[in-house]
Amino acid sequence: MVLLVVMLCFQSGIAQTVVVPADKKAKASPLLFNDAAVKDGENIYNKNCVSCHGNPTKANYQKSMSPIPGDPAEEKFQKNSDGELFYKIGVGNAVMPMFKNILSEEERWKLVGYIRSFNKSYKQPPLEVVVVNLLSKTVKLAISYNEKSHQIAITAKGKIKNDTVPLKGSEIVLYAKRYFGRLQIETVKQTNQQGTVLFAFPKDLPGDKVGNIELIAKINDELFGEVSVSKTLKIGIPTDKPSLTEKRAIWNVNAKAPIWILLTYTIGVLVVLSFLIYIIFSIIKIKKVSKKNN
Amino acid sequence: MSKKESFDKMTTDILRSVRLTNLSFKIWMGFITVSFLICIYAYTIQLREGLGVAGIRDYVSWGMYISNFVFFVATSLIGMLISAVLGLSGIKWAAPLARIAEIIALAFAMVAGLVIVSDMGRPERLAYVFIYGRIQSPILWDVTVVTTYVAISALLLYLPLIPDLKICYDRLENIPKLQRNIYKWLSLDWSGSPEQIKIVRRSVRILLILIIPVAMGIHTVTSWLFAATTRTGWDSTIFGPYFVSGAFVSGCAAVIIAMFVYRKTYHLDKYITEFHFDKMGRLLVLVSLVYLYFNLNEYLVPGYKMKKFDHFHLMELFSGRFALLFWGTQLLGLVIPLILLLFKKIRRPLPMLVIAIFVLAGAWLKRLLIVVPTMENPYLPIQNVPLNFKFYTPTLIETAITLASIFLVLIIITVLSKVVPIIPIQEIELDEHESESV
Repeated sequence: MVLLVVMLCFQSGIAQTVVVPADKKAKASPLLFNDAAVKDGENIYNKNCVSCHGNPTKANYQKSMSPIPGDPAEEKFQKNSDGELFYKIGVGNAVMPMFKNILSEEERWKLVGYIRSFNKSYKQPPLEVVVVNLLSKTVKLAISYNEKSHQIAITAKGKIKNDTVPLKGSEIVLYAKRYFGRLQIETVKQTNQQGTVLFAFPKDLPGDKVGNIELIAKINDELFGEVSVSKTLKIGIPTDKPSLTEKRAIWNVNAKAPIWILLTYTIGVLVVLSFLIYIIFSIIKIKKVSKKNN
Repeated sequence: MSKKESFDKMTTDILRSVRLTNLSFKIWMGFITVSFLICIYAYTIQLREGLGVAGIRDYVSWGMYISNFVFFVATSLIGMLISAVLGLSGIKWAAPLARIAEIIALAFAMVAGLVIVSDMGRPERLAYVFIYGRIQSPILWDVTVVTTYVAISALLLYLPLIPDLKICYDRLENIPKLQRNIYKWLSLDWSGSPEQIKIVRRSVRILLILIIPVAMGIHTVTSWLFAATTRTGWDSTIFGPYFVSGAFVSGCAAVIIAMFVYRKTYHLDKYITEFHFDKMGRLLVLVSLVYLYFNLNEYLVPGYKMKKFDHFHLMELFSGRFALLFWGTQLLGLVIPLILLLFKKIRRPLPMLVIAIFVLAGAWLKRLLIVVPTMENPYLPIQNVPLNFKFYTPTLIETAITLASIFLVLIIITVLSKVVPIIPIQEIELDEHESESV
């Protein structure tokens, strides 16, 4: 862990300021930054950003990090255009992770909205007519598995009007669903000319009882926006571990308590109780003796 | 003076407290009753508004209430030490103190259960502990042993009392009829036949043996409520004996205070003598030494290793937020009393009263020091919460509810010692009789 932090620090030393392409810079939010969006943005911020950037306006960011994260309410942040902020959140910088594959576009725009809520002089430009969402519904992702090469092939095709075209150079990320969260398979890859991308799938990933693993593929295309598709394939190692609550155990319910606890407790209580009952009888006996004597 | 006369004199002396009700008793009784009722009003607020009126929050969820519970269970252990351990070892000087110790034990053990209820947000769900309780949980064991201990203590108070209740019935003719009838009924028309004496002796003996494991159990299980977790400051293998030895310290202090008060108010100088104080002082030194030894182990060993999480916790105690309380409690409540009591001149009633008050207060605060700092220092960092979640500060209502339990103990002790002779008459008489005939 320490090593990782040290490495990250060194890495950040050579980090450059993020250069934002002109078209990205000019990009405006398709979302209206209303109260609901800002509120959502705040929740996303508190989950993903607060640990380094601190609470906006409080300047309680991690001052020991390099580059210094800074407070999003600061001038340094606010002088960025909406598009710049959106882009920078997406690509990250040195120690700041890339959020493109962690947060959806909508979530990232909400974050921008939240950051803007600390800038009183900010006015959101009028919304453009959004066609992206309508188009995105026509994207198709096909997931297939090659048993010999242990590869997952994902083919992305988009439909514009009546033409179906392969999506070239789109970024695709593949996850395998686990108990908690998702496991990313390899790195983010770009589709080739045929709109296909290949991921080498690990041979030793445990699946459920029959070896099923749920795969989630996510595409983030300039034109079509963000789409994700899931598919369950029998490509994992069948794993049938007994549930931790199946056998008698300390942590289990009362009916599945370990025998030794049941015995110790019951015998202990019964022994003490039998003595107490004996004493009660002795008291009754004293009374009887008194009656006899009087 | 013949034997009969001296027995008569002794009975009259000891029964004086039951026979006469003076003004100071009425004032004291009135004071504790009114105080208790005021504090009970605080509890009605908590019942209506919820546990939020107390200073306990998500992280420090065991504050003053549970510390007080541990203190009560601890103090109640003295009944076992004086009646059983000393009694069975044939130590005669402790016999006149046995009833005082039993009354203290019963009162503290009874109220200890109620203290737990005061820590519950929904006390009407108390029965769920039994209905849905898990046998694996130390909480269920604790409920079991506390109840058993109350039952045994009550029997151990009652059985040797039977002959004395008969004496009360015979001698106290001017008391209200109802009270006299209760004496008659409770004395089981004791006739003092050898057979009855035999039954009582055998029963008491069984109880004395039985109470030792149960009393060890009650406080060991209370310590397991803490030690069965992996938390810093509680994750210790010596918590059982550490708690039991600490219990004897606070119990001895409570008995010394009670001895002083009874001796003064009921004029029992002849029966609770300086000799008894001297002996109790020595006993307190002994148990304090044992407790000091456990303290040394409990703090020195982790303090030497200073493991990552222990480090923060221990530094909070040694030199941080709790340093004043920690060193104050250890020095004024344990080390200095222990040293002072080594001197014979100090082992006299008044100095011992002062020392016992310090020891008892120290014992109470020590429980707070065991409970609170650990809860303020969890393994997972406390994040995004208001300041009063991070640092525990007891509220006025919480303090009043805790005081209510203390007043209730005082009421029980006062009432019990008012209605029964606090020195076992028959037992002392029989003992003297037997030692003469040997």
